[in-house]
Amino acid sequence: MDRPLDRKNIRNFCIIAHIDHGKSTLADRLIELTGAMRSGDICNQVLDSMELERERGITIKAKAIRLDYRGADGGAYQLNLIDTPGHVDFSYEVSRTLAACDGAVLVIDATQGIQAQTLANVYFAMEHNLEIIPVINKIDLPSSETGQVLDEIENVLGYDREDVLLLSAKTGQGVPDLLKEIVRRIPPPAGDPGRPLRALIFDSHYDSYKGVVAYLRLIDGHIVRGDRLRLMRQEIEMEALEVGYFAPDQCPVAELIAGDVGYIATGLKNVRECRVGDTVTWAHKGAGEPLAGYQPAKPMVFAGIYPTQADDYHQLREAIDKLSLNDASLSSEPESSPILGHGFRCGFLGLLHLDIVCERLEREFGLSLVVTVPGVSFAITTTGGEQKTIVNPSEFPAPGEIASIEEPWVKISVITPSKFIGPLMELVKEYEGSYRHTEYLGQSTTGGEMGQRVRLEYEMPLRSMLTTFYDQLKSRSRGYASLDHEFTGYREARLVKLDVLVNDVVVDAFSRIIPPEKAHEVGRAMVDKLKEVIPRQLFKVPIQAAVGSRVVARADIAAKRKDVLAKCYGGDITRKRKLLEKQKEGKKKMKSIGRVEVPKEAFMDVLKLG
Amino acid sequence: MHDIALYLHIPFCRRRCQYCSFVSFQGRETDVPAYVAALEEELRRRAGGQRVSSIYFGGGTPSLLSAGQIAGILTTVRTAFAVAGEAEITIEANPGTVDRAYLSALRAMGINRLSLGVQSLDDHELALLGRIHTATGAREAVRLARDAGFDNINLDLIYGLPGQTLSAWRNTLRRAIEMGPEHLSLYALTLEEDTPMWRTVREQQLPAVDPDRSADQYQAAEDMLAEQGYRHYEISNWARPGRECRHNLGYWLCRPYLGVGVAAHSFLDGRRLANTGSLDAYLAAYSGGHEPALEMDEHIGPDLEIAERIILGLRLCEGISLEDMPGIDFGQRYRRQIAEMEGAGLLEYGDGRIRLTRRGRLLSNEVFWRFLPEPAGAH
Repeated sequence: MDRPLDRKNIRNFCIIAHIDHGKSTLADRLIELTGAMRSGDICNQVLDSMELERERGITIKAKAIRLDYRGADGGAYQLNLIDTPGHVDFSYEVSRTLAACDGAVLVIDATQGIQAQTLANVYFAMEHNLEIIPVINKIDLPSSETGQVLDEIENVLGYDREDVLLLSAKTGQGVPDLLKEIVRRIPPPAGDPGRPLRALIFDSHYDSYKGVVAYLRLIDGHIVRGDRLRLMRQEIEMEALEVGYFAPDQCPVAELIAGDVGYIATGLKNVRECRVGDTVTWAHKGAGEPLAGYQPAKPMVFAGIYPTQADDYHQLREAIDKLSLNDASLSSEPESSPILGHGFRCGFLGLLHLDIVCERLEREFGLSLVVTVPGVSFAITTTGGEQKTIVNPSEFPAPGEIASIEEPWVKISVITPSKFIGPLMELVKEYEGSYRHTEYLGQSTTGGEMGQRVRLEYEMPLRSMLTTFYDQLKSRSRGYASLDHEFTGYREARLVKLDVLVNDVVVDAFSRIIPPEKAHEVGRAMVDKLKEVIPRQLFKVPIQAAVGSRVVARADIAAKRKDVLAKCYGGDITRKRKLLEKQKEGKKKMKSIGRVEVPKEAFMDVLKLG
Repeated sequence: MHDIALYLHIPFCRRRCQYCSFVSFQGRETDVPAYVAALEEELRRRAGGQRVSSIYFGGGTPSLLSAGQIAGILTTVRTAFAVAGEAEITIEANPGTVDRAYLSALRAMGINRLSLGVQSLDDHELALLGRIHTATGAREAVRLARDAGFDNINLDLIYGLPGQTLSAWRNTLRRAIEMGPEHLSLYALTLEEDTPMWRTVREQQLPAVDPDRSADQYQAAEDMLAEQGYRHYEISNWARPGRECRHNLGYWLCRPYLGVGVAAHSFLDGRRLANTGSLDAYLAAYSGGHEPALEMDEHIGPDLEIAERIILGLRLCEGISLEDMPGIDFGQRYRRQIAEMEGAGLLEYGDGRIRLTRRGRLLSNEVFWRFLPEPAGAH
């Protein structure tokens, strides 16, 4: 890369797909075919570098790689592939990746057809005016139904079947044609190397040696190592300590030019200083106007994270700090709970994000965690006229102090064979959702008895999606339904806080926010479960679920009556003593709720109760 | 030198009971002669002129030994130790293994206390437990023992059997009282892991034991026996006044005892010892002319000694005297535990003694563990 390439020979593109439709495998094949890596170096799914990403088959962080391609016309092309996360929780990251691209390869599974996130991704790409190349993947599988998927693409997405490429990322069949089409259909980058620098930050990560490494798409101008640069929105100045591109490891170069995708090492200490979506320009004689950015992702889902062992609190704090360095959408505030001790109330993009963060904390930092039931952020106006944002149910005001409550709603889109419309309608109703719209996609790809495939649109409170909704959706559609959701805004809500009292002590970790008409049912379930898992104590323990001072469910754990060792056989005192020692040890491992001792596992069981 | 209690373990059974986890062997009766010889050898080896205040043949099933074998063992004991003239000499017997001549022979050789493993007086329950005798057989055994001259008889009974109702238990106990024993030991069935009955319950072929019902059964027994003039002197033991088992009292009062035989435990000079639990290893040691291996040899330090004195002493219904504890201000050291347990209604204090309450007797483990010292290294 000594001599800058003609801008006409650069293509910036991404691959978008519903989860498991083969995005990462296709990326591997493109990398292999263009020789960016020898095939021996390609461990599966090169771009999913996190252990967790490979294991779960999902992409969590966006990544970029430069591919050198010799075109059919003999010309040398530089293809910049930017990998995008596939899950709805990370749709914000998808959208910022798309902003760095001029085109997108849309991958659809030949055995599954269009799924909920296929559509969401297509709409995103359209909003960014990307040239979309639809491809049907997995055509080598015996269960592929290419013809029907082609019908769907025609009906639903409106592309001509002739424009759809058929390929198998696994075998490589059809992939060379895709490379040709990328060059032919996706436009070269616009922009002017002669104008003042404007580069869009589409991702970043923290490197302990280089500081924050910002991933850039250069629109105008150029960056040379050592340039003094400025972040236009944050008003922060920095130096380009290193300039380079990804292959897929970082390859330093002397210069990046308009149209290029690459990185700069900034020396900044926190990813929050170097916001994704910000525009980088020169510190002197910089651009006048920043590029259109995007709204930073706001945490939508909140949960308390506590160390199982109180001694691990500081370790947990450090671990969360470290993860935050690379994850601007993870928020955390210290909080403490009489039962759980000191921990953090963390904010996440969604349940998968929460799940991944907790798994990384446990796996990469060796922590054992207690995670409370996830909830949303409520906007509350008190009778005194005060506005409050509540993310911890235990801080939810008493019913008398609330003038109004608003909670986040989402639009959900479900794609399912029509056979399951009835059960899914029921399901959504149970979860407080309301029906909006039905759209028929074409014939089922799985045979006549399933009926046609349809897209159903509903609206529901995000809160009710956070428990067992997704599992139920999958189980009531025998695994066929796919789901996508999108935040639509806050709406007025009628909600109460349900408290659980064990021996008249409110257990803050068990409090949850629910519609009043569900208080009895949810309270009953909690109370029954606690009665089952709390061992009998030396005194009677009442367990109550209450809204304010109104008890909605109650169960009593009768006092323990018998705990006695029988025969002392032949003077074997030691055996008896060992049993007592075990009993004493067992007591130490219990969590105390007031005077009531509860084994930690029991506590966790109830916390997991949706 | 203190008097010691002497325990002799006879680890043979014609058939193992369904609930039993003790060290005993079925189908090894051909080894009895060798075992008796080994036991006598161990007695000789371990004798050092101690005065013996009580002798107890426990098992297993000591009554599987012939009268001659028992007599031989007793002779060895009397030769090797100084057996007190008024010594209590107990033998455990299975009602299915005794007859008139056998019992007369036992009595004649100086055995003055008979402990019969009756367990239940309901034939269905006896079958469930895997006992080899019937209720009628148990009554017959008592009658024969009386005829043989035993005036100090204990009956062992088990309550809290799977599915056993309160009234079924009352019936067994009423029938047992009618047999007029001087002493009764009532044990709650403990389903030890890996016993056949534990497996049957786990596989749901038998109902699980309801601890509340066991508690009701225990308290019903307390009431019935008090009414009949039995004194409740230890958590599991009742006796006519003066007929408390002196041998077992020694355990609760932390007095020294010597145990000989397979798996037998001793408490001597501040150490708790246990012989190997392997019959083969025990017999091999005898053939090889050396001492049987110890399965346990534990020094009881001062903290543990106090804890044991409290825990064992509290098993006795008279409780423990606060002044009795050597070298410590008991009331001060355990103020927190005593207050907590008094508050919970499990301990009561009076006349300078603390003792378990009626409720505390059923929840004694909850009291006891609180008096254990912190494990070494922990603070």
